[in-house]
Formats: sequence, structure tokens, C-alpha cells
Amino acid sequence: MTALDVAFAAVGLVTAASGLLAVTTRHVVHAALWLVVCLGAVAGCYLVLGAEFVALVQLLVYVGAIVVLVLFALMLTRAPIGANPDISTGRLHRVLAGVLGAGVTALLAAALLPLAGPAVERRDTSTTQLAEQLFGTWVWPFEVLSVLLLVALVAAMAVSRMTRPSVAAEPAVTGEDGVA
Amino acid sequence: MNDAVEVTLRAVGVLAAFLVLPLLVGQTEHKVMAHMQGRLGPMYAGGFHGWAQLVADGVKFVQKEDITPAAADQRVFRFAPAVALVPYLVAMAAIPLSPDVVAADLPASAVFVLAVTAVGILGTLMAGWASANKYSLLGAMRAAAQLLSYELPMVLAVASICLAAGSLSLSGIVAAWSPWWLVLQLPGAIVFLVSAVAELQRPPFDMPVADSEIVFGAYTEYTGLRFAFFLLSEYAGIVVMSLLFAVLYLGGWHGLASDQLGWLWTLLKGFCIAVVVIWLRVAWPRLREDQLQRLAWLVLVPLALAQLALTGVWVVVAA
Amino acid sequence: MTEEAKKPGAIGIPGILKGLATTARTMAKPTHTAEYPHAQPHLPPRSRGVIALLEENCTSCMLCARECPDWCIYIDSHKETIPATTPGGRERQRNVLDRFAIDFSLCMYCGICIEVCPFDALHWSPEFEYSELDIRDLLHEKDRLGQWMPTVPPPSALDEHSAEAAEIGATTRPGRLVRTTPARPAPTRATPSGQEPPPASGQEPPPPTASEPAPEPGE
Repeated sequence: MTALDVAFAAVGLVTAASGLLAVTTRHVVHAALWLVVCLGAVAGCYLVLGAEFVALVQLLVYVGAIVVLVLFALMLTRAPIGANPDISTGRLHRVLAGVLGAGVTALLAAALLPLAGPAVERRDTSTTQLAEQLFGTWVWPFEVLSVLLLVALVAAMAVSRMTRPSVAAEPAVTGEDGVA
Repeated sequence: MNDAVEVTLRAVGVLAAFLVLPLLVGQTEHKVMAHMQGRLGPMYAGGFHGWAQLVADGVKFVQKEDITPAAADQRVFRFAPAVALVPYLVAMAAIPLSPDVVAADLPASAVFVLAVTAVGILGTLMAGWASANKYSLLGAMRAAAQLLSYELPMVLAVASICLAAGSLSLSGIVAAWSPWWLVLQLPGAIVFLVSAVAELQRPPFDMPVADSEIVFGAYTEYTGLRFAFFLLSEYAGIVVMSLLFAVLYLGGWHGLASDQLGWLWTLLKGFCIAVVVIWLRVAWPRLREDQLQRLAWLVLVPLALAQLALTGVWVVVAA
Repeated sequence: MTEEAKKPGAIGIPGILKGLATTARTMAKPTHTAEYPHAQPHLPPRSRGVIALLEENCTSCMLCARECPDWCIYIDSHKETIPATTPGGRERQRNVLDRFAIDFSLCMYCGICIEVCPFDALHWSPEFEYSELDIRDLLHEKDRLGQWMPTVPPPSALDEHSAEAAEIGATTRPGRLVRTTPARPAPTRATPSGQEPPPASGQEPPPPTASEPAPEPGE
């Protein structure tokens, strides 16, 4: 048991606990906030395992952007303060979801536990190594993905700037052309 | 044992900087804004030109009643100021003032600072939602929309600098800095400055706290020390962003006698940027929400992408 | 919509730079702030600070109290009989002012009381530093109002080009003898003020038409 083991166990516990709370809480916004804790703790896991850059990107993208988007969407709906009985599920659903979750956990455990060695070795991955891998071995998937995202970005802008239905048919066609 | 002492010393140093520098910026804002408007600003607190005005303000905030609205979500409401404040404290620890004066020299500190400051918005969102106030909620939504929009050009601008320097570490970036960057990275610098001001929700990008429309946005229901924490986080944000700008674009500690006085150079450059941020507040009116989004997506993002491409070409040609 | 989008781009950049320049220039210039308790403010003439009472002039006519829109002037008086000065003369009555008070917590500084006073008993004083911790202390009784009298500035000099005050003009103006002369036809031509002559004078051009062409080339 090194200090790193303890740290990993701690962030792992936090991840699991906050994940559980995110699913079980009856407050919609609290669920999103527990999700923040969960994703942050996952970043902590990466950090403990030596993948510093991945941890930072996890923080930047998931905590800084994705969850903010989730919260934003929640606020656009009527996210009330306090427990919300309208959106809580019935007993049967809960039991079913629990069984399903336990099944997936068991499956994953059965598949992954035999693969794990006696001790997880921590490999510090420097950003240079990461970059060499990313822009060497995996450069094609990376580039294709980035082009896809760029297209999505430009298309989103084009869609949002499409002139609205005063003449319903025509602008829609030109807008699609613009996207294509 | 020595390590423990050193860690404590560094933490205390960061905390001291975190408590002193924002006050310095705040006082500068008081005075600069006043003189730009033909006024004097605070003149009495502390005797000499009101230097202790913000200390007095702090004492006042401590004395005020700490109110949590009855309809609010108590725990989230109380926790939000900490979420807004701590990220900037952590970010400040990673910003180097000189090769030696840095609390935590991380290998990817540029990404670290961006990632950590992006968390701060959660505090505003939590505050806005938990206040059970429609103005607060509107403010929080405006803040979220604004910060999501301006996060992208900012990251792209920093990516361009990292590309030029060939390093994700702020120290490495300053080491690779050359005066040519002042010209070649100028569009990126403008993009960064504009998005930094927008991220801080400072005028002219203060839609989220537009006092004439939505009282004080997400912070409407806050009083006393918790409100002061939000204000402190804003000014700490100015400090972090100004220092970051100085380190990324102005060459940090490069200057005369940079071996001994490097930290002073960084602070000085950062201070100048902070004054510019204050200046923008005085000179320009608030942007409307649609103008704000249009600026981010139609001006800043393309500009940042163009800068990134330019830097890429430059790096390849130079290498 | 498109026009709106174009406008800020077309004129926006010089505009925002101008804003920066203006604020920077203001910062370089000295400020306009007067630090009041340490530096006395420069008050314009005829400043309305407080209303002073010259008790001797007051006849308790109640005009001010009646005209006051806020009803903030309180006057009490009683009649006093003055015995005849000469034997067999008539006794006279006069008003004696018992109380004259202005409640400055109600007063809106309109100055109607001062305008309306026929005997110049009320005056504006520029003094304004009479704030109180208790609102009831803003009710100034006549001795307090009298104390403001020394602070009343002398009336400012009239503008040199202004018309004479009516009462002075009435005494210095010559009598209206001129009006009587135009009734006679013959000597009117000599008087410059005569406007009736036109039907009588045939040969000479009338003075108004003669004077008209002169200014035109000048203009």
C-alpha cells in the first residue's frame, strides 16, 4: 500500500459514491452536480494513474463544458428546487434498473478482473509521448475526428443563422446547401 | 520534513498573493475608473488616497448578516461561492512569475489553468439556480451561454501559443518566447484578451450581471461574506487572466535584469493588462446578448482558427 | 436585420477607439471633484440654502403662510393697542408676531414665500449646513430664522444693460407731456416720436422709409 494506492482508492470511492448519488438523488440539479463530482473524481483517477494530460482534458471538457451544458439545459426546463416527484420512477422500474446495473457490473467484473495483474503499474505518460502516439500512430482517426467536429461547428453556426420561416420553403433549401 | 515545510510555504505564498493581488487590482479599478470619469475615487479610508478602501469594504462585508433565502436550496446556495473562488486560487498556483517564483511548476500548466478556470462557472450556475430567484436564474443562464461560447476561442488562442512554443508548460512557453510573437500572435492575443474579459463577465461583456436588467444576476440573493467571495473571485479572475496574458503573449519575465527581477516584470506586465481590462470597462457600453454570441462565433472563433493555421504554417516553415 | 448587423462593423471600430481615447484623456486631466467638507463648495449667486427672517419687517400678514404649497410656515400673532400719542388722538392697533416657524423638513425651497412677502421680511441665504439628527429639529423658530439674517448676501448688482427697476423708472422718467403734443398737426414734424405725420407730409420721404435702405447694404 503506497500513498498512490491510498489516493487511487480514495478518488475511486469518491467516483463510485458520487455516481451512485447522481443516480439516486431525486433533485434533478443535484444529480447534475453529483455528476460534476463524479467526472472530477474520474479526472483524479487519471491523475493518480499518471495520465496528467488526459485528466486535465477531462476537467476542461467534461466539467468545464459538458456539465455546464447539462446544467444550462436543465435550467431552461423547469428545474425546481427540492425533490421532484414527477420525474422519479416507479418501484418496478427501480428494481429493474438495479438488477440491470448489477448485471452489467458483474459482467464487467467477470471480464476485467482476470485481466488485472497483481498490481497496477503506474506509467507516467508525458504529453510528448501522448503527442507522438496521437500524431503518429493515430493521426488519421484524429484528423478525421477533428474535421468532423469542425464541420459540425460550422454547420451548427450555419443552421443557427438560417433565416427563419417568413418564406418557409426557400431558405431551408439554401440553408442545407450552405451546410453541405 | 523539508518538503512539508516547502509545500506549506508555497501554499501560504499563493494564499497571500491570492488575497493581496485582487485587492490591488480592485483598488486600481476604484482609482483608475474614478479618474477616467473625472472623479477622485476613494480618498479617506486609510488616510492616503483611500488605500485601505477595500480593507474597509471587507470589514463591512464580514459584519453583514449572512442570509440564505427561505426558498433557496440551502446547501448548494452556501457552497456556490467556494466553487467560484477556489478554481482561481488553484489556477494562481500554477502561473509562474519567473523560473524560480512558481508555486507548482506543472508540465502542462497552460492546459491546467484553462481547465481549472473553466470550473469556476459552475459556482455561478449553482448560485443562480439555488437562489430561487428568477433574476438569478436568468443571470446564471446568460453566464453559462456566454462562458460556453467564449471558452472555445480562448482555448484555440492558447493552443496557437502552445503550438508556437512547442510546449504546454507556461514556463516552457516563456522560455520559447521571442519578440516576433508580439506581431505574429497578435490576432490570438486579441482573441484571448476579449474572451478573457468575457469569461470574467466584465463589462462590456457583463450581460450576466447587467444591473439595470437583472439586478445582479446570479449574485442577487447573496449578502455579506459570501457575496464578497464572489467579488473576490471576479478580481482574482482578473489577476489570473492578466498574468496568464503576460506570460503567454508578453514574454513573462523577459526584460531588463530578468535574472533577479523577472517576477517583477511578470507582475508589471500583468498589472498593465489588468489596467487595460479596467479601461475597457470604463470606455465601452455593454454588449447585447445576440451581439455577444455573434462576436464569439463569427469573429473570435474564425480568427482563432486562422491564427492557429498561421502558427502551424509558421512552425512548419521555421522548422 | 442585415443592416443592423452591418452598422456596428462599419462604424464600430473607430467608435470603440474613440471611447478609449476619451476616457484616457479624461484620466490625464485634473478631476472635477470638490472634496466638500474640506473644500467649501463654490455656490452660484442666488443659491437657495435656507430662508432667513427679518423679524422687524414682518407684519404677520400671513401671505407667506397662505401661499406656501407645503404649508410649512407657522405664524402666531396677536393684536396690540398702541395708545394715542397726542391727547385726543386715536388709538392704533398693530400686529405683534408671537411665533414664526418654518419646517425645513417639509419645505421644498420653492421660494414662493419670499416672492410673496410685501415687506421683504424673508430672504434667501446660501447657508445649507443645518442638517440634524432628529427630523423635528428642522423646525426653525423665529430666533433661529433670524440668526440666518447676517448670512444673507447683498442683492446682486443689476445688469448694466437691463431695464431700470419699475419703481426707479417711474420717478426719473419725464412726465407724459409728449403725448399731448401730437394732437396739434403743425409742430409734429419736428418731434422724432411722431408717428401720425404721414398723411400731412407729402414732399418729404417719411423717416421710416429713408432709414430702411441704409441697413440693407450693410447686411
